[in-house]
Amino acid sequence: MASVLKTQKANASKASVKGKGKRKAEDIDDEETQAPIAKRPKNKQRVLLLSSRGITHRMRHFMNDLEALLPHVKKDSKLDSKNHLHLLPELADLNNCNNTLYFEARRHEDLYLWAAKTPNGPSIKMHVQNVHTMDELKMTGNCLKGSRGILSFDKSFDESEWGRLTKEVFTHIFGVPPQARKAKPFIDHILTFSVLDDKIWFRNFQIIEKDPTQPNGPPQTSLVEIGPRFVLTPIRIFEGAFSGATVYSNPEFVSPAAVRSALKRAKGNKYGKRKQAEEDRSGRKEGRRREEDELAVAKVFA
Amino acid sequence: MTSLDEDLPADVPMDELSEAESVDEDSVPRQKIEIDNKIALERIRDTIKLDPSLPWTETLSVTYPAVIEVDVDDDLNRELAFYKQALDGAKKAMSLAEKHRLPFTRPADYFAEMVKSDAHMERIRQRLLDESATIKRSEEKRKEREGKKFGKQVQMEKLQERERGKKEMEERLKGLKRKRKGGLDNPEETDGFDVAVEEAISDRPSKRPKGTGSEGKKLPRQARDQKFGFGGPRRHSKQNTKASTDEFDAPRGGSGKGGRASKGGVKRLGKSRRMSARGRS
Repeated sequence: MASVLKTQKANASKASVKGKGKRKAEDIDDEETQAPIAKRPKNKQRVLLLSSRGITHRMRHFMNDLEALLPHVKKDSKLDSKNHLHLLPELADLNNCNNTLYFEARRHEDLYLWAAKTPNGPSIKMHVQNVHTMDELKMTGNCLKGSRGILSFDKSFDESEWGRLTKEVFTHIFGVPPQARKAKPFIDHILTFSVLDDKIWFRNFQIIEKDPTQPNGPPQTSLVEIGPRFVLTPIRIFEGAFSGATVYSNPEFVSPAAVRSALKRAKGNKYGKRKQAEEDRSGRKEGRRREEDELAVAKVFA
Repeated sequence: MTSLDEDLPADVPMDELSEAESVDEDSVPRQKIEIDNKIALERIRDTIKLDPSLPWTETLSVTYPAVIEVDVDDDLNRELAFYKQALDGAKKAMSLAEKHRLPFTRPADYFAEMVKSDAHMERIRQRLLDESATIKRSEEKRKEREGKKFGKQVQMEKLQERERGKKEMEERLKGLKRKRKGGLDNPEETDGFDVAVEEAISDRPSKRPKGTGSEGKKLPRQARDQKFGFGGPRRHSKQNTKASTDEFDAPRGGSGKGGRASKGGVKRLGKSRRMSARGRS
């Protein structure tokens, strides 16, 4: 629906341009020849942030934290159904966003994060674990709302092909473009992505440049954690935005549902084993049974 | 790019099967498809990547030159590794920002909305203070407890010492009093410094005149029984006997004493003079 409206609008504007006469067309031509000289390549990114239904309070706070940290993010209302993911690129178009962060909450306990570049770009589906939001009192750092943060990537991202792609996508999504409307001038925090145990660990630190007590000597940089912190396990990378062929799947990933069922099965195993042992015991007892002896009391004495 | 995955014991690949192992005949060899289409990944990356001519200031991304190799479950070292990565990144970024003339440090007078509200920061600060206070308090209590065990002994010993010292002093003074009982010296003569008294109460046992430590005359058993036994000599003094009920006046003990000739020796002084004399000697 949205895409139809858009094309209608485009056609209407084209028609009006044509109708207004040749003078305008000449002006446009002149402008176009001048424009490419002054144009410099710019990093323009806008991220659409939304979630599915069934999200818990922790996940909601986590989303709000990300919204506060990244000023080029546009938060949208919840997506009604998880089955119609094809609506997401259209929504992103509607909001003029070229990236999407979609939080999919399943069973009120598992959180999946889709990071996608919307027109036709790749999408990465990841499983989120160990979420600690900014509200936690142990994280004592603070930073400007909307300040651009440094992104620090591990060397392991460059060692694999999927790592390089993930690094690129994250740079677009988590890196604040300088022309973002709500961006503030100074740099006072750093976001780190590290690969450890085949998972991506995220940390956010505030950079403190302590003025030294002695006037001589360089200022010592120190870091305090601001939060949030989370761990991402990449599951699959798709060629299109929320659709398309799989170009990478992670062999190490075990779905949380499978983990839970394995645990439950292990718990039930104890009972099963015991019952099995009891049956075996009765079988062995049967095997040991001997015929009544010739000289048994019951046979000798009638 | 497909491979046989062995995540269940029933799914054993055929070539790794040993003769002795039994395989459930009904188990179907499962294939878990692992896809790693490197070519496609590279192609996609080329399509989406940013213009390489963009200056660093557009993306602000730095790379940590080392791979993190820490045990995942070792929390302390893991967080330390992340911290090191961030510190390295921050330092690199500072030098790069200098190069590109990007303002890095926030001046002290720049006030703007922060990601965490002031109320929240206040709660954090309060929590830190509370934590440090509890730690200090528990430290103090522990020290007190330790000290008490030790200190109690010391206290008992000190008390005993003091008591012993007091008793000794008392004895010495008593001895001295008994000696001096015979007449009071002229108080001005000694000029306040009575050497004999000082010597008697001195701490050095050699200076003390011998005999102050003596027990004093000990009454024999019989004499003591008579003096103190069964209430003493005047044990019947307040009894109501047949004779005493008819008497209205108390027996004239005072007049008996007064009737005696004043050949009794020295007249007994009055109470106040006796008390003052006693205190002085």
